Amino acid sequence: MASNHTTEEQRPVRHKVEGPKKHIVAFIFSILLTLIAFAAVAGGEINTDFIYIILIGCAILQVFVQMAFWMHMKDRGHTFAIIGILFGVFVVFTCVIMAEYWAWW
Amino acid sequence: MSAHSHTEGQLPHEPEKATLEGRNKILGFWLFLGAETVLFGTLFSAFLALRDQVLDGPKSQELFELPLVALATGLLLTSSLTSVFATQALHLQKVKAMIGWLVITVILGLGFLGLEIYEFTNYVHEGHGFTTSAFSSSFYTLVGFHGAHVAFGIVWISLLIGQLLKKGLTVTTAPKAYVAGIYWHFIDVVWVFIFTVVYLMGKVG
Repeated sequence: MASNHTTEEQRPVRHKVEGPKKHIVAFIFSILLTLIAFAAVAGGEINTDFIYIILIGCAILQVFVQMAFWMHMKDRGHTFAIIGILFGVFVVFTCVIMAEYWAWW
Repeated sequence: MSAHSHTEGQLPHEPEKATLEGRNKILGFWLFLGAETVLFGTLFSAFLALRDQVLDGPKSQELFELPLVALATGLLLTSSLTSVFATQALHLQKVKAMIGWLVITVILGLGFLGLEIYEFTNYVHEGHGFTTSAFSSSFYTLVGFHGAHVAFGIVWISLLIGQLLKKGLTVTTAPKAYVAGIYWHFIDVVWVFIFTVVYLMGKVG
């Protein structure tokens, strides 16, 4: 125990803890993307296909921001997390394409 | 106690990843979230295929009220921010601040759930019941599943607050709190797709 104690004291490692700044930036970014999406629909009078593109674009961008910063996916050691989620997304796209194809063509 | 290189009463840096059990818990939770993605994805694909099949029931354009959805989105988005603050307090090992942020997260989650219950009862009064049409069934299944996840998260985080009050921050409680934070963000991420695909695209037509 005692030897352990001294080795620990010999290298006083101060870990840096991240501040709240980048999370507030991610929050503001999310709010802005949400506002754009709601405004595009509430504003109306734009081409429907164009609104769809704006909506999908905002959603994907916002999810990317939230996963990277809030779910810590950009941090190291998240390879399996990314593989797990990507596999889920792969199944999701298969299902969506299948359902749309089955329903409309 | 094991001969660990940290002094007694002092938690290691990132206590949620300090033990093998904690690291396994986080990895397992990510695989669970992958499965959750599949669950919500299939519900989304069913909704997308059936959302125009309204029979005699109300259409999505007549039904949805954007201000209510915007308010619910604001609540859930803010609760995601407060839960990331809780995780930061965990890394700074400030238990009191952490519990405070978790309490705020739970309160915001309850507000969201209250709005959703109010919204659903309104819809039922407007003739949009679960069995009205394929649109209504797939709508309630998808949005209701998300609401159930929020309710589960509220119960989970509330119990976690109790455990943190009792046991404080240890290498056992830290992974639980970290994983609950990730769960709450995931719920928020699913909501981003719900308000986009269900409400906004439903309003456009």
